[in-house]
Amino acid sequence: MIATGVLDDLAATVGGHAQEAGSQDGVAGVPARWVAAPGSAEEASALLHTAAGLGLTVVPRGRGTALGWGSPPRSADLLVSTERMDRMVEHNPGDLVCVVEAGATIDAMNEQLAQHRQQLALDQPLPGATIGGTVSTTRSGPRRLLYGTPRDQVLGVTMVRPDGTVATAGSKVVKNVAGYDLAKLLGGAYGTLGLICRLVVRLHPLPRARMWLRAWYTDAETAAAAALRAAGSQLAPSAVEIRRTVSAAGADVFVLLEGTRTGIDGRSRQALELLAGATETTDIDPEDGDRLGVLQAGPEDTLVKVAVPLPGVAAVLHTVQAAESRYGVPCHLQGSAGAGVLHVVVQARERPDAVARTVTDLRRAAVGGSAVVLQAPAPVRTLVDAWGPVNGLALMRRVKDEFDPDHRFAPGRFVGGI
Amino acid sequence: MTTHPTGPVPAEVTGHDTAGSVQELARRCRALLGDEAVITDEARRRTYECDGLAAYTVVPALVVLAADTNIVREVVAHCHELGVPFVARGSGTGLSGGALPHAEGVLIVTSRMREILDVDPRAQRAVVQPGVINLDVTAAAAPHGYYYAPDPSSQQICSIGGNVAENSGGAHCLKYGFTTNHVLSVQMVAPDGALTRLGTTAPDAPGYDLLGAVVGSEGTLGIVTEATVRLTRAPEAVVTLLAGFRSTDDAGTAVSAIIGAGVVPAAIEMMDRLSIEAAEKAVACGYPAGAGAVLVVELDGPAAEVETQVGEVREHCDAAGAFEIRQAVDDAQRALIWKGRKSAFAAVGRISPDYIVQDGVIPRTALPEVLRRIDALARDNGVRVANVFHAGDGNLHPLVLFDGSEEGATERAEDVSGQILRLCLEHGGSITGEHGVGADKAAYMPQMFSDDDLDTMQLVRCAFDPRYLSNPGKVFPTPRLCGERPGRRSGTHPLQDAGVAEIF
Amino acid sequence: MTAGNGPGADVFAPPPGERAFDDQHPPRQDLLDDCVHCGFCLTTCPTYVLWGEEMDSPRGRIHLVEQGAHGAPMSDSLVTHIDRCLGCMACVTSCPSGVQYDHILEPTRAQIERRYERDPGDRLLREAIFAMFPYPRRLRALRLPLLAYQRSGLQRLLRRSGVLQRLSPTLATMEAVAPPVQHARPAPSFVPAQGARRAVVGMLTGCVQREFFPHVNAATSRVLAAEGCDVVIPPTQQCCGALSMHTGRRAEAQRFARALVDAFEGSGVEYAVVNSAGCGSSMKEYAELLQDDPAYADRAAAFADRVRDVTEVLVELGPVAPRHPVPLAVAYHDACHLAHAQGVRTPPRELLDQIPGLELREINEAAVCCGSAGVWNLLNPEPANELGDRKAGNVLRTGADLLVTANPGCLLQISSALRRADKQVPTAHTVQVLDASIAGRGPESLLPA
Repeated sequence: MIATGVLDDLAATVGGHAQEAGSQDGVAGVPARWVAAPGSAEEASALLHTAAGLGLTVVPRGRGTALGWGSPPRSADLLVSTERMDRMVEHNPGDLVCVVEAGATIDAMNEQLAQHRQQLALDQPLPGATIGGTVSTTRSGPRRLLYGTPRDQVLGVTMVRPDGTVATAGSKVVKNVAGYDLAKLLGGAYGTLGLICRLVVRLHPLPRARMWLRAWYTDAETAAAAALRAAGSQLAPSAVEIRRTVSAAGADVFVLLEGTRTGIDGRSRQALELLAGATETTDIDPEDGDRLGVLQAGPEDTLVKVAVPLPGVAAVLHTVQAAESRYGVPCHLQGSAGAGVLHVVVQARERPDAVARTVTDLRRAAVGGSAVVLQAPAPVRTLVDAWGPVNGLALMRRVKDEFDPDHRFAPGRFVGGI
Repeated sequence: MTTHPTGPVPAEVTGHDTAGSVQELARRCRALLGDEAVITDEARRRTYECDGLAAYTVVPALVVLAADTNIVREVVAHCHELGVPFVARGSGTGLSGGALPHAEGVLIVTSRMREILDVDPRAQRAVVQPGVINLDVTAAAAPHGYYYAPDPSSQQICSIGGNVAENSGGAHCLKYGFTTNHVLSVQMVAPDGALTRLGTTAPDAPGYDLLGAVVGSEGTLGIVTEATVRLTRAPEAVVTLLAGFRSTDDAGTAVSAIIGAGVVPAAIEMMDRLSIEAAEKAVACGYPAGAGAVLVVELDGPAAEVETQVGEVREHCDAAGAFEIRQAVDDAQRALIWKGRKSAFAAVGRISPDYIVQDGVIPRTALPEVLRRIDALARDNGVRVANVFHAGDGNLHPLVLFDGSEEGATERAEDVSGQILRLCLEHGGSITGEHGVGADKAAYMPQMFSDDDLDTMQLVRCAFDPRYLSNPGKVFPTPRLCGERPGRRSGTHPLQDAGVAEIF
Repeated sequence: MTAGNGPGADVFAPPPGERAFDDQHPPRQDLLDDCVHCGFCLTTCPTYVLWGEEMDSPRGRIHLVEQGAHGAPMSDSLVTHIDRCLGCMACVTSCPSGVQYDHILEPTRAQIERRYERDPGDRLLREAIFAMFPYPRRLRALRLPLLAYQRSGLQRLLRRSGVLQRLSPTLATMEAVAPPVQHARPAPSFVPAQGARRAVVGMLTGCVQREFFPHVNAATSRVLAAEGCDVVIPPTQQCCGALSMHTGRRAEAQRFARALVDAFEGSGVEYAVVNSAGCGSSMKEYAELLQDDPAYADRAAAFADRVRDVTEVLVELGPVAPRHPVPLAVAYHDACHLAHAQGVRTPPRELLDQIPGLELREINEAAVCCGSAGVWNLLNPEPANELGDRKAGNVLRTGADLLVTANPGCLLQISSALRRADKQVPTAHTVQVLDASIAGRGPESLLPA
């Protein structure tokens, strides 16, 4: 069979690690044909070169935790799995930098790094994720307030272009301004420009002591104001989270302090003053605190990431409450009030129109920011544009044309149908 | 060095003869701006022939002093139409010739676009024009308890537009990151004259992170006409320590111990004997007498944490053999400590008739080894090298001192300077940590990157500037011919050719 | 990066035409070579602050002079941009490479004055100004009509109408900065020390200071005497030549300098004390000014060595006279010729700080000139107004009760800008505040009734 010929061609490039796709291998409902797992950038290059020759559409895949994010691709002939590229290539503790392959999970990395009292300071909204996937979808959690997002941690990248060309940008040092920062461009590109094979990331020392504080407010607006105070304070919190559960009138504010034991004692007292107006303030089990960053979206829920300038957090809270009462859709809101990035989970799969209206309202509330539908059931997707308005779209199309002139990489998954 | 790397753009790249078009451009600019802001007079144009790197000079064919975004947009649109190259320039303080003019192009100067449009402490943002001086952003934010974190040594004179172009860092980027970590959104004029906004006032704007590509692209992707920058809350406590050591080895040991202990200072700067001598002559900073090296360590954050860290840092410095540790207790003392460091480059002019400022990066742990090798290089070539560097992140600024009037001295100095860069690359570092590639280091790019790497970067260039008009000749040693699409296929789908399509 | 006279220098190819500079003290190449083009001077340069263009920055001016030094002709561009320099020397303070811009500017200006043909209007204006200012007697003659004019109410009328502004900006500036005329009593030639004598000092009375601010001179001699100085005031002294020197009128400046050296010679003073920043800075330069004059070179150098700003002498001697409280918030303005040209920043602050109850406030953008700059405000009235307004705004933002500085020109310039803004901040010279404190006259004596 000629189809078998394709598989053979693909398999030949990756030491046999290619197979026909199974029913579980779809991308947001779009079936794939083949799955191949290169073990190195060289194999990936050969694989993608072959795929280019065959004109296959390609979707990169890590552990698949966010494969459903973004718009469904128009086609996904070949899934390129990074599972065999999962090594930590280099780690010199004194330099606070490590080189890691894209398929390594952040859990595995941090387990190794912890032996040196270091960490890759990225939260995992979707546990078990790879570093490559986390970068490609630019995921972040509570500690982004202090440490930033993947964008701030990645120092260098080795990628394979859609035509199979291997390219490296950045370097293995913290400070470098030679050449264009391609790592930034690939971060959050959802695999539409090429395959990330290897990353250089900066590390941080593990804090010696940490403390999560929780304050419960009976109304959401007071909570938002308290969060804003904490974020604008000199406490240097590592996280200022806000959580408003389904149908609640009030909200929780969580503050993470990291540092030394003595330092945190003093800072927590100051934090309690800043959190004034709370009905109840307490410190919580750090492990519970850390779990705050895990997204609480079921497979049929709609997950919206809303980014706003800090004073806009209150408006988003208000919008969520209004949507609940107006459209009757249960909404869960959680996110970094300190950074202005919130996740709203709309739990109403049987009411796609109401969900769509909620998304529209959130988008309207996100003045100066954005509201992106990360995940949604198909009926919702047909009603809303997942990405919303995007600045610089014309230039983005030109970038896509340069990197992937045939539009074979995750076509249609990204903004503006890119 | 009468030759320079940015000669006329080859006609095959621009597809245009630029020389004749400049006259027309000048005419249009005059109509747009009046005579005063369009400089054609030879003597005046010549004052723009270089930026902070005086080794390369090119007299621009035309200089335009832009007053606002619209003027930049119109001038660039005319350039696009007439095929005239343009180079943007802010304060002209860059150290890699990034704003070196083009002999047949126009220099678009943004130093008059210096309005701070908005300061919003609640949103922790400021909106500024590109000509605004870095330190003025901090001055505007300070009354609200905020500051603008990126602090290049030239912060009192360099412009935000230039900072964005070069992705400027500074002493405090060890803890706080570079310009790219502090710019949320820009309004820019793309090389075809289209006014575009990249990013949003909020973080995580959807779409490609074009902003991330533009910051640090050294003016090759267009001209930024407005930037929304992040303001950082002023720390509760700041302590600056100045520690004197017998040698750079001792000081290096202290740095390793501090980092190894998990302390992240806001800055750790090292200066060696020669650079201390120069700074002392220039600004009488009163560093510890007889020091072979000094460390400037700044710790900031909540008072309760800083206090603990100061104790630890002092212990590590003591253990590494510091013979004197001073702690700045007020802003005036802190300013004096920093003054020595921040004036160090220009100050070596006091101890040497000529010098080359180098900028390279190595993994921090390679510091002792690389310093020894630089020492040996200097000895073997009969030049002196003063070292100033951001010790926390391995960013070296060796200053190669020489006397240009001495036979062959210039060549030897340039050779040593180049070998230092190779040393950085040998250790897995970079040819520039903050000064940029510009005109100066384009030739070194192939030593750090493969042809494929450079080709891939230039895909971005082709997307933004297919006609190669925006600051041509900088960053990349050879232009990529845009529109060349290797692997691009048209016609029947390859799967169809292979027969696969029929089967399914 | 290569700096200095290394590889960068070759690019100056001498263009055709007559060279800008001849051999009589052209700007020195070694001083030009000190500039490494770092740009640290830009933001403290008042004209760069105003116009944001390279040619009107110290770095750009040095570049223009460098072109001239390499054989370029005396172009209108060179002259225009050198003319526009205020000579405030803020760049000298901010330069990490130690470029002696003052020693580049003055020879360049002298070459321009000798070799450049100015247009008739400009020439006439300059002649008129220099026929007046350096001559106390002529200034005195001007005082009477000015007094009549001010008293008649015509001044208020004219200021409100703005008609002068439209007719001649220079005249308008001259009118606007003209101080309220005071009755001047001739200064005594000797004021004895109070208590034990600690020093014998000579005092310069100056031109503008003598005619328009005689009370500053009186306060100076009182404070010096109170601190144990015999104060000698040579009666034959005339102008120090500062205005001429700073505008390139070298021969004229040399004439004044010789006369002043003569006037102080034989007076037996340890210091020649100056209370006007511009005068002090030029008197400290007499050695260079008269270096080619065999009859004066050594004497001028010896004289220059003894020149001190009044605040320098007072700090050097240390306070003996008791200070009484002056409970005022005081904004101290650094006169450029004191702070930048002479590097005297700490002594005046130290002296003010010694006064009980006095709160010293710093002015934002302190390094940037107020726009007075000798006669620059008369030659460049519009930009001078802009700089004055900027300074006045910064002064107002301090919220101080009193503005203190050490130069008559600054006081006139800033007061005039404040008037334009319909604001008032009382002004005083540093020694007047000290005088009030030592005499125990209280703050009222410094504030308008």
